[in-house]
Amino acid sequence: MRYVRASSFEEAAGLLAELGEDARAIAGGQSLVPMMNLRLARPAVLVDLSGAGEPSFERGGGGVVIGALTRHCDLERSAVIAEECPILAEAARFIGNVRVRNRGTIGGSLAHADPAGELPCVAVALGASIRTVSPRGVRALPAGEFFQTYFTTALEPDEVVTHVEVPALPPHTGSSFQELARRVGDFAVSAVAAVITLAGDHCRDARLVACAVAQRPLELTAAEGVLRGAKPEDVLDEIESRAGAAVSPNGYKAAVTGVLARRAVVEAVDRARAR
Amino acid sequence: MTTLTPERTQEAPFDVVGTHTVHADFVEKVKGTLAYADDWQLPGMLHGCVVRAQVPSARILSVDTSEAASVRGVHSIVLAAEVPHNVIQEQVSGLGAGVSMPVLAAERIRYAGEPVAIVAADTPAAAAEAADRVFVEYDELPAVFEPRRALEPGAPLVHESGNLLVDWRFEKGDVEGALAASTHIVEGTYSTQRVDHAYLEPEAGIGWIDANGVLTLRVATQVIEHDRQLAEILGLPRNKVRVSGTFAGGGFGGKEDMTVEPYLALLVWKTGRPVRMVWTRQESLLARQKRHPFRMHYRTGITADGRILAQEIDIVGDAGAYPLLSERVLFAGGVTACGPYDVANARVRSRAVFTNNVPTSAFRGFGAMQVTFAYESQIERVAEAVGKPPVEIRRLNFVQQGDTLPTHEELDTHVGVGETLDAVLTALGPHPGATEQGKRIGRGIACNIQPYGRARFFADRASCWVGVEHDGAVTIRTGAPDPGAGQAASLAQIAAEVFGVSADRVSVHIADSALTPLAGGTYATRQLYMSGNATLLASRELRDDLTAVAADLLGTSRAVVFRGGRVFAEGDGDAGLTLGEVARAAEAQGVMPHRLSTFHAEGGSFDVATATGKTFPDFTYGTHAAEVEVDEETGQIRLLRYVACHDVGRAIDPVRVEGQIQGGAVQGIGYALSEEVEVEEGLTASSLFAEYLIPAATDVPDIEAIALEIGAGKGPFGARGIGEPPIGPAPAAVANAVAEATGVRLTELPFTPARVLAALRARAAPGS
Amino acid sequence: MSEEQLLRFELNGGEASAWVQPDTTLLEALRTHTGATEVKNGCGEGVCGTCTVLLDGELVSSCTVLALQADARSVTTVRSLLPAGDGALHPLQEAFLRHGAAQCGFCTAGMLLTACQLGESTPAPTREEIRHAIAGNLCRCTGYTKIVDAIEEYLAQ
Repeated sequence: MRYVRASSFEEAAGLLAELGEDARAIAGGQSLVPMMNLRLARPAVLVDLSGAGEPSFERGGGGVVIGALTRHCDLERSAVIAEECPILAEAARFIGNVRVRNRGTIGGSLAHADPAGELPCVAVALGASIRTVSPRGVRALPAGEFFQTYFTTALEPDEVVTHVEVPALPPHTGSSFQELARRVGDFAVSAVAAVITLAGDHCRDARLVACAVAQRPLELTAAEGVLRGAKPEDVLDEIESRAGAAVSPNGYKAAVTGVLARRAVVEAVDRARAR
Repeated sequence: MTTLTPERTQEAPFDVVGTHTVHADFVEKVKGTLAYADDWQLPGMLHGCVVRAQVPSARILSVDTSEAASVRGVHSIVLAAEVPHNVIQEQVSGLGAGVSMPVLAAERIRYAGEPVAIVAADTPAAAAEAADRVFVEYDELPAVFEPRRALEPGAPLVHESGNLLVDWRFEKGDVEGALAASTHIVEGTYSTQRVDHAYLEPEAGIGWIDANGVLTLRVATQVIEHDRQLAEILGLPRNKVRVSGTFAGGGFGGKEDMTVEPYLALLVWKTGRPVRMVWTRQESLLARQKRHPFRMHYRTGITADGRILAQEIDIVGDAGAYPLLSERVLFAGGVTACGPYDVANARVRSRAVFTNNVPTSAFRGFGAMQVTFAYESQIERVAEAVGKPPVEIRRLNFVQQGDTLPTHEELDTHVGVGETLDAVLTALGPHPGATEQGKRIGRGIACNIQPYGRARFFADRASCWVGVEHDGAVTIRTGAPDPGAGQAASLAQIAAEVFGVSADRVSVHIADSALTPLAGGTYATRQLYMSGNATLLASRELRDDLTAVAADLLGTSRAVVFRGGRVFAEGDGDAGLTLGEVARAAEAQGVMPHRLSTFHAEGGSFDVATATGKTFPDFTYGTHAAEVEVDEETGQIRLLRYVACHDVGRAIDPVRVEGQIQGGAVQGIGYALSEEVEVEEGLTASSLFAEYLIPAATDVPDIEAIALEIGAGKGPFGARGIGEPPIGPAPAAVANAVAEATGVRLTELPFTPARVLAALRARAAPGS
Repeated sequence: MSEEQLLRFELNGGEASAWVQPDTTLLEALRTHTGATEVKNGCGEGVCGTCTVLLDGELVSSCTVLALQADARSVTTVRSLLPAGDGALHPLQEAFLRHGAAQCGFCTAGMLLTACQLGESTPAPTREEIRHAIAGNLCRCTGYTKIVDAIEEYLAQ
């Protein structure tokens, strides 16, 4: 096994291209190293890109551009995130324990694409773009298209995430992240991210995305449809039932998803009103 | 049998007993300097690991080690044929099960995870690499995974002798007649799950051959007397094997059977080199022995006002693929199956059944824990049937000193269960009432009876050596292992009390089969009772010897007092001699200032055929209460409050006693709410510690622990055992709280949110 | 065959170094190569907390950090709580002993480090805040109450 350090994302992508399939990128290592400890992952080369950048939040184009090496604890503490897209901080708090949050990065989380991952779910709900670099140049992928299935993204083997771009949220937008896990910090049984924009009393736009209930973040389109144009208080029961119905099989996860969708909508609407 | 008069009648407060002391090992623990079993490295040390079967039932056709042997750094691979005596005899039962367990599977695999080979290599990675390359060819055989299925005729046989390992039948009075005379018969079926000890320290040890040619193991263990088995396995003389037990990072019964010992010893023996073996957490979850899942059926006959007339109880426990301690566990469950209630007519059948699951064995509570869930749920159903409060029905039926168990034996010490119930109710205060919409609050209580000490027919004994040095320092040598509950510290306090010194003047050497007198293992909540009494005995006998010398030196015929490190005639205050001076003088006269004494527990005979006679020396009683909030939308149970009370007889160290109550209660809460090793067709679903849900700090409230000292037990200074008792009541307390909050009775552990939600949805509509 | 690399880092204020493999974890490097056996191995998954150390002053699971990722950085273990030489205990350690917050002691080093970090960020935390701070440090013996008691008392000052 070999270990190499990349001093930039470009260099990391170049190394991955050169070293081929058995090379794995590592940043916080919170997913990869446990797998190595369990002998489930045996990469031939480790490309450490944790020195390729710094945690960063840049306001630009009305939204926020977050550096891929921004750790979950940085999201929790950032004043910029608290102002612009607090749902990211809210979700980050659910990730593992404090030690995981001190190491894990947003780039790593998104690239890992755990179906139960909080950040992929929120990225989709925010309509974020995931910026990458490879030897072929840079590109920006909408979060909704980035996550394909279990632990599989649109990333090429020699492509790394460099930034996450969160668009500006319209005025009167509130958000909420509701998760049910067995213990604090455990993987979600189900979680729902709600981003809701109001126009007066009514909902003008809604994004409801669940995680841990499908192979990738699950957009609860039927529930969103019910909400758009409606007075949220009037449609809570239907939101719950449609959100639950989107999850199969129809067991506990489905039931909980419905409940969490309802709670997320209620809280997001309250917060939208307060803004 | 040795009689010790408990010093409960001593009116003067104790100087050391009854206070919180800090023994040396705890100081090392907070400093991080205590060396656990994996904290030593020896020069030239190899690393060992176990190759385990991947299928639950098979014949072994071949084992190919050629690729493994060629892994760089591999020194040795051992298979069954090389083991001199390839048998682990379960020596505890005395029942002659006729079924033994191999150290390494030779022809037959009976559970997934069963050891097939062991490897020693230069590095842990090389050993693991080699282990992955040992290829076993299996011919898979039919298997059975469910005890009831295993009992059916034609079920695949785990062992030739049949799948029924033991069938205990306790009978007392006239059950048929009593049931016929009952106004109501309340039935209930309860089931408990497979759980793991999940101690934080993995199984670990290091072994070497010392200068005397003695194969020495330094291991985390609850039992050092396994040295005998090891000697047999290796075909060595018994004085050529030594087991030294470290301060272990938790045991709870999981380090009571051998864990790494035989595999480590074999590799040391084979290579002649020091060898280290540490099991991975995942290996431990997958393959090491678990708690017996129990399925229990109760038929309780009662009068119109709720008095229990009869109990008919059937218990079936999953023993897994090998006996280990299963016969004992189902025995303890059977003996205590009626709970702390006076039942004149009882029939209890308690069976251990083989399956092709991972073997089950000792775990804190040991059968008496599982039945607590059943009898404390059942008593509430009784209360419901007659429309009376459960507390009242409990009091109506509580057993008292002088009553008999299903074994016909009389309870010969004070039964404090009623007082523990009173204490808990007082601590609880008024009911908080309802809460915010959608969340219901309920309170539930549960009482229990848990034996302490080994069954009497084992004629249990423990030895202890106590010496006073010429500077007045005291030394104890005891074979007692210390897995973290202050076993060493308690003995230090006892000796300190007797010699009138502070506890920090006492040094304790523990758990070395070559160097300390044997005291038996740390299990069955026996160590304070046995070694505590042995220490007390040796200390008093030595003090008596020293008293004679001192009286002579002091020229007094008055009583001689040992206090503050000095020895003086009663009334003489600070005059007199130091303890060290007395010890020196004694030795000069040929009165050696040390004593080796053996405490013999009360014996008793038990007739296996009729299941009558004396079982355990004594019992500890308790009551717990849980206050829960149930989220009716998600099925989540949140504990708001938890109160736990036991009558401990005498608390040697009140802080440590509270710690035992709190720790046991939280393990019980984990058992109630979240822990389960899920197995499908003999294969464990997940070996990840992330998925084995033991309570974290955010899962439990403060445990309000109350230790009563009201009924003298048989331990030193009237102490009762407190290790196991606190784990029992939690599941029933929570179930009873959920029942009060929601009207739903949960009968299957654990109470996962999914199960609770399903039960809530199945609940009858309000009003019906 | 793996190539060894030289790891150099600061350990408890002093210099430390070790030749390690690429896949050697910081935990293994500490325990095997620098004698820091006060850092424990409990699960290999980053879940139990017994391998907790501070990496550049932040709590991490050393079993999830590659040793080489600690190169040129500072690592702190529970031993740093002890002032050099004089044998006196840190007040938090004293509190643990007074309250009986350690039983088998295997989780204790991780708990102490986590509690110290809590003190840095939250003076006089509530019991609830303490429980959240140590939610990632599992204990099987104590049931947590006395650990919370000790931390509460220490941080109330």
